Amino acid sequence: MSNNNVMVKIRNLHKVFGQDLHVLDGIDLDVSVGEVVSILGPSGSGKSTLLRCINFLEEPTAGTIEVDGVAIKAGEKSKDHAAKILDIRKKTGMCFQAFNLFPHMTAIGNVMEGPVTVLGQTKKEATPYAEELLDWVGLSDKRDEFPARLSGGQQQRVAIARSLAMKPKIMLFDEPTSALDPELVGEVVDVMERLANEGMTIIAVTHEMHFARDVSSRVFIMDGGNWIEEGSPEEMFTNPKEERSKQFLAHIL
Amino acid sequence: MNQSNSIAGRGIPPEALAVLKQIDARRKNFSRNLRISLAILVLLMVVGLVVLGLDFKFMSKWIGFILTGLGFTLLVSVLAISLACVLAVIGALGRLSRNPIFNAMATLYVSLIRGTPLLVQVYMWYLALPQIGGALERLGLVGIQKYLTLPAIPAGIMALAVCYGAYMTETVRAGIQSIKIGQGEAAKALGMTGAQTMRRVIFPQALRVIIPPVSNEFIAMVKDSSLVSLMGVWELSFRAIKIGRRYFQSLEMLILVAAIYWVMCIVLQTVQERIEKHMARGERGENG
Repeated sequence: MSNNNVMVKIRNLHKVFGQDLHVLDGIDLDVSVGEVVSILGPSGSGKSTLLRCINFLEEPTAGTIEVDGVAIKAGEKSKDHAAKILDIRKKTGMCFQAFNLFPHMTAIGNVMEGPVTVLGQTKKEATPYAEELLDWVGLSDKRDEFPARLSGGQQQRVAIARSLAMKPKIMLFDEPTSALDPELVGEVVDVMERLANEGMTIIAVTHEMHFARDVSSRVFIMDGGNWIEEGSPEEMFTNPKEERSKQFLAHIL
Repeated sequence: MNQSNSIAGRGIPPEALAVLKQIDARRKNFSRNLRISLAILVLLMVVGLVVLGLDFKFMSKWIGFILTGLGFTLLVSVLAISLACVLAVIGALGRLSRNPIFNAMATLYVSLIRGTPLLVQVYMWYLALPQIGGALERLGLVGIQKYLTLPAIPAGIMALAVCYGAYMTETVRAGIQSIKIGQGEAAKALGMTGAQTMRRVIFPQALRVIIPPVSNEFIAMVKDSSLVSLMGVWELSFRAIKIGRRYFQSLEMLILVAAIYWVMCIVLQTVQERIEKHMARGERGENG
């Protein structure tokens, strides 16, 4: 049912909070394997909600979401609804603005948590890959530190390693650098860039210009719960067509 | 203060060192004076008791007999608190459950038990439950009465466990709700089920929050365990009151038993502090 080349397919996605707060207004989105997509837009435009709908941290109100061949229609009452959500979450890694590392576990404990609890590996089985990932994000020496002893940039890199430990097919980044001191942004973006270069499919909500312009293959600008326009980074940053895009870009560039 | 923690490259200037010394001295002075004050207060209490003409010989004669009741007190307390913890976790999950029946049961449990005196509940388990058994027997549940006729100690354990379980339900619920939403989201994003999220991420963090209030409950329960004396169990306070009355020396016996409870609670408090320190691992500020 799915084209091998399609990682994410979203059709007519709506999200309404409460009775009348219409945050997502009929979004369509196709992301191919290996694509790196940046989503930009003013705050309150629905970017984060869209990202959180993809792994069902928010339950969509209407529409369909398909991730790596697993399709879920909003509001469906099928028996395997919950199982399909778990399936999508296992295929998806997510990084949060607030990192959300587990404070009662060490760095390596955080990275092993998914494989141990979700995939049922023993700690011994999970350790080598977790160490490899910590090394890959440049934090081997922080292996046994608790998150409270790490800087924001280090915490976010552990969080990325934690997601990667589940061997996800796609990574979702929800403003991963917005809570960081400016001097720490680079180390996180660097890890994201290396991830992109290794062929990971990425959807990032970000205002980090280097990532949006030089790393992503496509840029979407969002406002009022739907796209204003999309295109290659060059098109979007040098020659946006829509007036609202121009206004928004003028603010952040 | 650890030198190797220094961020700035150059050494700390002498005038700053002098200030640090002052601060350190002030802190040490305070804790020394605090200890001296406490010692004086305790000494005053002892002196007061001597002035009152307390019969210490009488007390030392009976202390062994009273301490024999310690076993019952500890047995009842430990079993009741263990059971109460289990009830509290189930109760808290019920109070947070989106299943209306489970939620209603937990809500009713907390409301009913917190809304009635423990004294009444103790008698309920001991005296009224057999009557319920009799009624059920007449309704056709033959043989049930003997299971609902509890001896004094099990009845006391049940009463305390169910009562404290209700109070602790609210403590555990508040602890669970105090954990930031992002924690559960991060767990779910990894693919954890609700139960896994609770067991691996939420509950271990909530535990840290609820240890102090739960210890509080435990300390209160150790003392409330004296209520089993109502059912004729020869525990600590029952023995002290009996002897005090028989020899018209209630003051001595009451002070003695109060002191025993106090020592027990001081021990518990020390244990609590140890656990808290252990649980604080990973918190900012540990080891400075």
